[in-house]
Amino acid sequence: MIDVNKIRADFPILSRKIGDAPLVYLDSAATSQKPRQVLEAINDFYVKHNANIHRGVHTLSAEATRMVDEARGKVAKFINAKTEEVIFVRNATEGLNLIAYTWGRENIKKGDVVVVSLLEHHSNLVPWQVLCEETGAHLRIIEIDETGRLILDGAGTTQLTGRMTVTSGGLASLLGEKVKLVAVTAVSNVLGTITPLDEIKALVKKKAPQAKLVIDGAQLVPHMKVDVAKLGADFMVFSGHKMLAPTGSGVVWGSKEILEGMKPFLYGGDMIGEVKLTGTTFAGIPSKFEAGTPDIAGIIGLAAAVDYLINLGMENVREHEKELIGYALGQMEKLEKEGLVTIYGPRSAAERGGVLTFNVNGVHAHDAAQVLDKYGIAVRSGQHCGAPIVERFKEMAMVRASFYVYTSKEEIDFLIEKIREVPKVFKI
Amino acid sequence: MDYKEEIIDHYKHPRNFGDLEEPCIAVRENNASCGDMVEIKGRLTGDGRIHVLRWRGVGCAISTAAASMLSEKVVGMDKSDLEKFGVDGVVGLLGGEINAGRMKCATLAYSAILKLFGN
Repeated sequence: MIDVNKIRADFPILSRKIGDAPLVYLDSAATSQKPRQVLEAINDFYVKHNANIHRGVHTLSAEATRMVDEARGKVAKFINAKTEEVIFVRNATEGLNLIAYTWGRENIKKGDVVVVSLLEHHSNLVPWQVLCEETGAHLRIIEIDETGRLILDGAGTTQLTGRMTVTSGGLASLLGEKVKLVAVTAVSNVLGTITPLDEIKALVKKKAPQAKLVIDGAQLVPHMKVDVAKLGADFMVFSGHKMLAPTGSGVVWGSKEILEGMKPFLYGGDMIGEVKLTGTTFAGIPSKFEAGTPDIAGIIGLAAAVDYLINLGMENVREHEKELIGYALGQMEKLEKEGLVTIYGPRSAAERGGVLTFNVNGVHAHDAAQVLDKYGIAVRSGQHCGAPIVERFKEMAMVRASFYVYTSKEEIDFLIEKIREVPKVFKI
Repeated sequence: MDYKEEIIDHYKHPRNFGDLEEPCIAVRENNASCGDMVEIKGRLTGDGRIHVLRWRGVGCAISTAAASMLSEKVVGMDKSDLEKFGVDGVVGLLGGEINAGRMKCATLAYSAILKLFGN
């Protein structure tokens, strides 16, 4: 099991105060805090090794190149991928756009179908929506039930008409021979729902075997053990900054066969084979997708974050968060019984990541978050880049408390205690 | 920041809240990040000053209080008065302490009222 106090000592920011109150950081689904081991790795790079990669024969450039190569190897091993299948990007959003701009625009044509779920972060909805608008392909949406779980069976579909017409329903009813791509999140950033990837994969294989499967792993990879060899997907994306690494480090994983057949994403330095004024050939994977100087320090920080997580053990990370969300749900349900709060999303810890989503009844989410901030508690409020989900529950906004390796039960107790103060401020 | 008594008062008892019959100018403003919406209806005098203003909307305490306070403050202003009053004026009305994350809440109604004057 995880020793939270020992972990907390590694995170310098956790000892700061917000006003007079100790920081209670419950916004790790937005971005995680960084341990000293990661901060030192970044500092060490700039202090001792800073140079551009793949650019020179001098010692520093060789060191920087080796550090990025080693980082790629570490990340690949962490998700059980081949090294060349790991493409460094800025974040999961850029990763999804890379897939949409390259594989998507090459393969999705008028009349084809793209399936996403209602649980998607805007970054796994909007790129596909725009692609469908541009090409005349159809967008289909996997519906969710009242508890925030994806509906997999085929019970009927609904047409939604706005700027374009989309079809929503259970997954089975949306699949067919025209489906080219299914893009789903593994864990909802809004509701914490862990989606049944094995069942989704089996349904897609059965009813749309030609379709590629894209997994948004932004809320998965930081929190659970992932083995892409067993995932059965064609692509997965994730962000380093949600898994203890600095901002600017993200990953696209794609199966080698598919990546090799794809056109580049951005054009420029470091991604070329041979450049002549009359035409250019391109490098192989992964360089083909990594034009320009990458966030070298970010990538080195990501490698240090991966080391940190491996040292904790990803099974232990999930066990810790499962215990926290189970505990938090139990405590929140007491407030719910008193009529103080509304809770959204699955109620069982087995089906939910460390994400507690709620509203204080009669109080706007921003106001609740503002009051909690006075006690040093950092929670997210608003639509969480998932407006359709928030609307599905007929809300304008929601409050989200999200946990990570450094979150303690005491912090959850403190949150629950201070939620009780919120209605008092607004004289409810 | 603390919720000052005046903000809570305007939030619980918003002024000039409601509809306005035709003829009037109707404008809307949304805050895409939190779903807040304000709809403002107003009439201008012949020399382009706000004569009467009513508003409706859904939002947090800050956006509601800002709309309510502004609905009293802006009567008699023309476009250049309102521009001079500016975002700083709105923050001042709210007690002078709005963090970056709440600026959109604070200025939602202000942006809508500016639209009354057209382009």
